[in-house]
Amino acid sequence: MVNLNRTIIRTVLIVSYILIISLVVYAISALFGYLNTGADRSTILHTELKKIEQYKPKVIWMPLTNEGRPIDNESLKAIETDYLDAWYVKQVAYKTNTTAGINDYYTDNARKNIFDFITLNSNENISIESTTLEHHPKLEFFSEDGQLAVITDNDVIEYKRVYKDNKLVIETNEISTYKVVLLLEDGFWRIRHLIKESTEDYIVELHQIATNHLNIKGINYYPQATPWDMFGDSFSKDTIAKDFKIIKEAGLNSVRLFVQYDDFGKANVNKEKLDKLKLTLDAAETVNLGVVITLFDFYGNYDVLDWTLNMRHAETIVSELKNHKAIIAWDIKNEPNLDFETRGKAKVIAWLEHMIAHVKSIDKVHPITIGWSNTQSASLLNEQVDFISFHYYEDLDKLGTSLEALKNEIPNKTLVMGEFGLSSYDGIWKPFGDSEKDQANYHKKAQDIIAQHNLQYLSWTLYDFTEIPKEVVGGLPWRKNAQKNFGFIDENGAKKPAFTYISKPQ
Amino acid sequence: MQLKHIYIGFLGLIVLSSFAMIQDDNIILDLKLLTTQTEFESGSSITLKFSTSKMSDLILYCSSSYGTTLLSPKVEKSTITYTIPDHISNKSGQVQWQLINGNNSLSGQFNIIPKSDVATMETYIGPPSIEAGGTDYTMLVVIPTDRLDNPLPKNTLVNAKHQFLSSQFSDSITTNHIIAYKTIYSKNESGRILVSSESSNTNSKEYSITVFPAIPTHFKISAKQPHNYADGNQVTTFETSVIRDKLNNIVSDGTYVSFFITNSKGNKLKTSGTTINGVAKAMMIHPDHQTQWTVKGYVDGISESDPISVNFKQVIEDFDVTFSNNNRLISIGPLQSFMNQLIPDGFKVELLLYKNDKLLNILTKTSIDGYVNFNLTSNIATNDTYTIVIKSAGLEKAFNTINVW
Repeated sequence: MVNLNRTIIRTVLIVSYILIISLVVYAISALFGYLNTGADRSTILHTELKKIEQYKPKVIWMPLTNEGRPIDNESLKAIETDYLDAWYVKQVAYKTNTTAGINDYYTDNARKNIFDFITLNSNENISIESTTLEHHPKLEFFSEDGQLAVITDNDVIEYKRVYKDNKLVIETNEISTYKVVLLLEDGFWRIRHLIKESTEDYIVELHQIATNHLNIKGINYYPQATPWDMFGDSFSKDTIAKDFKIIKEAGLNSVRLFVQYDDFGKANVNKEKLDKLKLTLDAAETVNLGVVITLFDFYGNYDVLDWTLNMRHAETIVSELKNHKAIIAWDIKNEPNLDFETRGKAKVIAWLEHMIAHVKSIDKVHPITIGWSNTQSASLLNEQVDFISFHYYEDLDKLGTSLEALKNEIPNKTLVMGEFGLSSYDGIWKPFGDSEKDQANYHKKAQDIIAQHNLQYLSWTLYDFTEIPKEVVGGLPWRKNAQKNFGFIDENGAKKPAFTYISKPQ
Repeated sequence: MQLKHIYIGFLGLIVLSSFAMIQDDNIILDLKLLTTQTEFESGSSITLKFSTSKMSDLILYCSSSYGTTLLSPKVEKSTITYTIPDHISNKSGQVQWQLINGNNSLSGQFNIIPKSDVATMETYIGPPSIEAGGTDYTMLVVIPTDRLDNPLPKNTLVNAKHQFLSSQFSDSITTNHIIAYKTIYSKNESGRILVSSESSNTNSKEYSITVFPAIPTHFKISAKQPHNYADGNQVTTFETSVIRDKLNNIVSDGTYVSFFITNSKGNKLKTSGTTINGVAKAMMIHPDHQTQWTVKGYVDGISESDPISVNFKQVIEDFDVTFSNNNRLISIGPLQSFMNQLIPDGFKVELLLYKNDKLLNILTKTSIDGYVNFNLTSNIATNDTYTIVIKSAGLEKAFNTINVW
């Protein structure tokens, strides 16, 4: 007994000794590590300048026919970069009424004009959020010594939101032509003269795309193992092909997929992810499923200065995929009305409007919609979208009335219920939740209403998930657990009772 | 019954009043632009005047070349007036305005044109130096601007003037895309071009362009010697002829000329100089033994001279070698030059120490007062028998089996 006690004391002593020592070592190394962070010595020399993509409006140079010296591509690129930076710093300056960066991109005489505006605007408490969406510059002249360039920037599409006393006063779309003289000073192409030669209001003509052919009977899809991370490292075309086969055989004809803005590389779309998306579309095409692609998932900035980056993102994806046979429609943004409160309704609507116009300018074939989170918001921008889609997680008894109301308000547009479903979770976090039977009844009833109203639909979702990223519904366990059990197939791969009603009421 | 009438009457009033409100809303929208002028000279005071059916202080949105702002009106009875601020009215370009009034905004544009008189000639010229010969050129770029720093409109006449040697030139050019430019070609002569420009009696400063001579052509070289003896002391000077470009301009001062010297053994020596007034000089010390040099001048990669040859005569025919102090002290001399004078200090003598045909050591010394003394200390030579060779002025004397003790 004494021996045992002694052994215990010894063990405790040794273990605690090891623990304390390792803690001390860890603390010292953490401190050392902390002291070692900070500026790398090589940064003293500024040898490495990382360019952050901040501003990427569409720039289309006219063919080079300039007078003076013929220009090489590097010089033209340098002029373009600095010229766009000049626009960017000006927009930041007018947004914040500060002068940071202006000195780098405007010569002594030119910057005075900008400072005058900043003084007036800050006195009057005016601020301007603005961006340019397109430039069509033409090099008119490049001097023999390569120090002076004249460009005519044709049809610059400018968008502005002007605030006074932090209240939005006016929103403008203008199309202008500028003459610009740039000088190469201290390695920067700086604006010396800037003259707006012509300007007028810019009105985007949106052509409507017919949606008579649409007959969406589908489901929102994420693979069971990788929800909200469909195109990551565990991407498997076989899994997706198998799932698509299940969907097709269940009597559905389409799926709704999500493209996450950050995940796909923002303005510079990640080629690898895009290829995986293409493989997914190929899989859909094989079993003859149509695909609705939802862009800008998990994006929530809407800042005017972010627009050009958003547009490059959409442009790459849409132009790359628009000819794919599986594509049936573009959903610009998932539930943007949920951002109204935090970002401001006007700002979100303006973003959506411009993004619709932009996607339409690239893809003239496939219809466009916005996946509103409820029927109340569904009439927003109904003139601009080609068909209306809304999500419905409320009481099914009220769905009929809401649909009638929507049809009355927007009689000539197709309605698609982009998401609906019921979680079959009734565990400890939600003791009086719905059972799998309730879920089955829900879908039966939903299919009844769908049949009655001849509604197109995409249900939520094929699988029960085991992991939900916290970006989706937050970290609260009752929400997370509920979100896990919306599937028609449970986590073990068995079809839940609701599966019977996945595409029909019987 | 009466209650019903009252009720109906009350309802009717409500309906009527709501109509009245709707009409009221429509009335204040009656706005009209009174200002008819749509073109203003920069710097002039610009006001936009609107007639309104009701007093209102609507905001005017205003966007010019450099920026955007909002303006508040001066309200009078039936008109509202906006004064465009100086920093907008001073800069040329088209200005977009919009009178913000809900869905019934009024919008339009006006132009600000530059003043017609030129205040400054903004001048850029480059490159600042060009080559003579008529193919190279520089470019003058002029932006005539008004008092408020606005470039003058298209087709503004500019006189581009330049002077070179005895000639003066004046060319009429016109602005297009803000600038007017003129290429100025070099002439056959090198020198300096003075450039200026003028528009509407406003003159620019004077700018100058240096015209450098073109690249050098082939040239000649000569050698100047105090005497032609190989005394290892005097210095020969090489000199080029006046180096010129193909148009007979003397090349720029500082043109670098290298002289390559090849002696009779095929060894190479190099010296160099830079030109002043087209002539480059370089020097080389005389060899210490009879030889012949072949010398050629080069402007690297561009031009060269014909080779010349320079002869050097032997100055020392023979020398005495004496051994003393147990053969450890070796004295060479007197070394006598071409007039039997003692050779100037610093003449090189070598002693080579051999043991059984194996070179043990080379000792080098220079002469003082015509003599060189070598002291073979015990560190250099232990007590033994050696072969000692003395070399100087290209001569060689060998002493076999010298016993050192």
